[in-house]
Amino acid sequence: MSSRRSLFLSIFPPNSPTPPNPLLRLGFSMRKRNPVLVLSSSDEEGNGVRGCATSDSRCSSSRVSSSASAARKRPRGRGSRKNLHSASRDRHVVEFDLPSEEFCDHLHDLSKTPGITQTDKKELWTEKHKPHSLADLAVHKKKVEEVKRWLEERMKAPKEGIENCVLITGRSGVGKSTAIHVIASLLGADLCEWMSPTPTLWEEHVHNSNSGIQYMSKLDEFESFIEKIRKYSLLHGAYAEELRKPTILLIDDIPVTKGRASFSRLRKCIKTLVQSAQTPTVILITEYHKTEPVDSATEFWEELESSIEQAGAYKVAFNPITENSIKKTLTRICQEEKCDVPAQWIDHIARVSGVPSDTHGELNYGSPSLFLTRSSGDGHTNPQISLPWGRDEKITLFHALGKFLHNKRETPPALAPDLFTLKKKYARNPLKMDAPEEVLLQAHGQARTITDFLHENVLDFVSDEATDSGWVVNSYLSDADCILASIVHPKFCRITETNESDSVRELVAASVAVRGVLFGNSHPSPSRWHTIRTPKHWQIEQTSRHSKIQMLPERFATYRTSSFCSLSSIATEYRPMIKWFYSPVNVHAHDNISESLHREDDMDCTDGSLEGKKSEESEEDDIEDW
Amino acid sequence: MLWVDKYRPRTLDKIIAHEEIAQNLKKLVSEHDCPHLLFYGPTGSGKKTLVMALLKQMFGPGVEKVKLENKMWKIDAGTRTIELELTMLSSTHHVEMNPSDAGFQDRYIVQEIIKEMARNRPVDTKGKKGFKVLVLNEVDKLSREAQHSLRRTMEKYSASCRLILCCNSSSKVTEAVRSRCLNIRVNAPTEEQIIKVLEFIGKKENLQLPPGLTARIAAQSNRNLRRAILSFETCRVQQYPFTINQALPPLDWEQYVSEIASDIMKEQSPKRLFSVRGKIYELLVNCIPPEIILKKLLSELLKKLDSELKHEVCHWAAYYEHRMRLGQKAIFHIEAFVANQSLVQMEPVSSFDHLKDSLCASFSRISYV
Repeated sequence: MSSRRSLFLSIFPPNSPTPPNPLLRLGFSMRKRNPVLVLSSSDEEGNGVRGCATSDSRCSSSRVSSSASAARKRPRGRGSRKNLHSASRDRHVVEFDLPSEEFCDHLHDLSKTPGITQTDKKELWTEKHKPHSLADLAVHKKKVEEVKRWLEERMKAPKEGIENCVLITGRSGVGKSTAIHVIASLLGADLCEWMSPTPTLWEEHVHNSNSGIQYMSKLDEFESFIEKIRKYSLLHGAYAEELRKPTILLIDDIPVTKGRASFSRLRKCIKTLVQSAQTPTVILITEYHKTEPVDSATEFWEELESSIEQAGAYKVAFNPITENSIKKTLTRICQEEKCDVPAQWIDHIARVSGVPSDTHGELNYGSPSLFLTRSSGDGHTNPQISLPWGRDEKITLFHALGKFLHNKRETPPALAPDLFTLKKKYARNPLKMDAPEEVLLQAHGQARTITDFLHENVLDFVSDEATDSGWVVNSYLSDADCILASIVHPKFCRITETNESDSVRELVAASVAVRGVLFGNSHPSPSRWHTIRTPKHWQIEQTSRHSKIQMLPERFATYRTSSFCSLSSIATEYRPMIKWFYSPVNVHAHDNISESLHREDDMDCTDGSLEGKKSEESEEDDIEDW
Repeated sequence: MLWVDKYRPRTLDKIIAHEEIAQNLKKLVSEHDCPHLLFYGPTGSGKKTLVMALLKQMFGPGVEKVKLENKMWKIDAGTRTIELELTMLSSTHHVEMNPSDAGFQDRYIVQEIIKEMARNRPVDTKGKKGFKVLVLNEVDKLSREAQHSLRRTMEKYSASCRLILCCNSSSKVTEAVRSRCLNIRVNAPTEEQIIKVLEFIGKKENLQLPPGLTARIAAQSNRNLRRAILSFETCRVQQYPFTINQALPPLDWEQYVSEIASDIMKEQSPKRLFSVRGKIYELLVNCIPPEIILKKLLSELLKKLDSELKHEVCHWAAYYEHRMRLGQKAIFHIEAFVANQSLVQMEPVSSFDHLKDSLCASFSRISYV
């Protein structure tokens, strides 16, 4: 079995429960371009520390035996340092064992829970309580059955001409890879995974390019891998001695691309894979885009999915895990670990890990937090306290805006034995929400957007009698705008200032805007239903920019001047005056000016300059006839 | 062709309003050594006319054959390329542009485009190396960085090009740029001068001018010659022969602003504020610059306020005009001014106190986070 997780364990001592400490990571980054070592690209490695060249030679020795089978299906053929110092191997292993043991010791210190045997905790619970049978899986039975049937069919009769690909989609943590692993072991098939390379750091790249090693992106690697298995059917060759045992190819980690060109390359790649696959192939796609609404890559993933489907893959979508099945699993773990956790805690963990709007059912998340529950508390603390290790609860921007605009406050306490009393006009009751800055953080709002939205909508929420609120609010918004402007505008930004100060400034600006609104809106209007509008001035800005661009050529074409004239004078002098030429109505009849402004606008946009010129000329003719 | 363009003096000799400046410029050209020039003065005072006449004096009628170009420029700014669209007017001898149109990216225009133009030097028919003239409008709206790069360009390429800068207020041009130019202040023409110009046009057009009409136009024009001529022509289009008390066509946006002002005076409430916002948007869509809106609004309000309040209102107008320059969204600041206006009567609270409080509060919050 060569899953991602077990591979990880084969390199570390099997009982090391956590990502390696810096010393270990150093070793890995040194050897990352070594072709024989198998590392997964999961985040355990990758951020290596540079600068210790002495350990390089030792680290370059490789441990073939431990991961030989996996190494062979490694797509990379470039062998830079293939000679193996098997002599130094033992020393090497010792070196690896040492720090990880230390690390384990530290971990033991962390969890001083009575009543648990020490040996129990050498594995993460996500590893330890990994489902081993179909019944254990939290995924919906039907879906699992579907995948299983499909795989069985394919393995029984590997027919030619039939699409050998299945695509499984689902949010992160719903158990896609786990399900595949369980099914594979159930069917007695070997699971081969494409191991994506370790990401290269920029410093590493600089270092490597000096030594002549070429950089290869993940996409490049993937491409060459696909090419290879297509041409040489490498998987069969690698497993020639055990041909009878069927294999399943698992592609878990599709490279993320940026830009059209690389995306089309990836698509082509996957298409060839789907169409030419000899062995049953499983492609997993995590639907990040559905959990992260801000992610701009939505269309990318959707397009990829649809293109895989078009190529003929069979698609199975895993639904998010329900809260109940998370609870069931957690309870099972609790029973196995023989610890009594209050039911509320389990409920809470299940709820937090499966907030309906946000991240649907993440089992990966559930069990670590249960582990933490166990290790930190003695199980009898107040269940009311919120779990400090909970995932950040996210709220939408509109939710946050609603909070700010409605400005709900506590009723004033009966007695206020303050050290000093504020003047009445400065005094406000305490807010019925978290600190505004925290709400802002949860809403992931950008300062500019928040300010604009507040500006657009705040007046609806101010009661009509409160005349001064409008000003206070507006003066704060104007402050916020000034602070914000200095970020984007390089005009007032000194060169020495760095990005950090900008981000602080953005925080300050957002906070000034929000607190200004909260403070200024001292008499909020009685709460009722309000719609929140998008800021109108976005649209206004756009149209005015558009008409600005139009103005100058228009003037030039129409009146053949030989020099520029400033836009403001066109807007304030030429255009209003010229309008009188076109509409020779009585000067006194200008009741609704706004309409005339509109009319002029329409005319300018639709007629174009030519017609305008004509009408002017004809008018002049009329006058001369007089 | 509009009268403004038709009767624009083409040569320095024909200039009516600023004869003295014209004579000086003529002398400058006759000496074949023209420094960089900076024309400044209020709008409609004749800066552009002077510049064009000067150019014609220098290069002959060739400068009037201009073409309008709208060009995309790709500028390599270190890590990324910036695409800028810029409209420019050019003849064989000069190029005219509005570098401040690029907004906050104006320094790239100055650094790259202007430099590019300044670098290649025209050679005239006799093989003598001439120089090119770059006319830059609205220099006062350039950002500080852009002005500094402008200074550098001025120094470096002074052999091959001359810059003519135009702006309204020289105080917004950095000292470094100002000191490298010959500064020419172009006053707003007096009402007598405007009347003289209008009568000149009337004579050329063979119009019967009733007494007092030109005087009224001049008075209404706010010493803006362009506006005076435009409204003169509008009068002509509206009604001819002129009558003695002919109505002068008002500017629609000015009326609109005065409407806003009376709105503000009538009632102060969030609802009213909201409707005022809508009206200001209307003006902004029509490209009326926010500074001008604010200025006009102030002058309309001043007409209606008690004299004790005038000082206070002016103070706030100045305050928010400054904020508008610092900030990005003009509407925020205009609205703050509008909202503030009524409160001046009740209780002036320094906005700085609020700012200080909230800043302190937010900083302390951030340090906790």
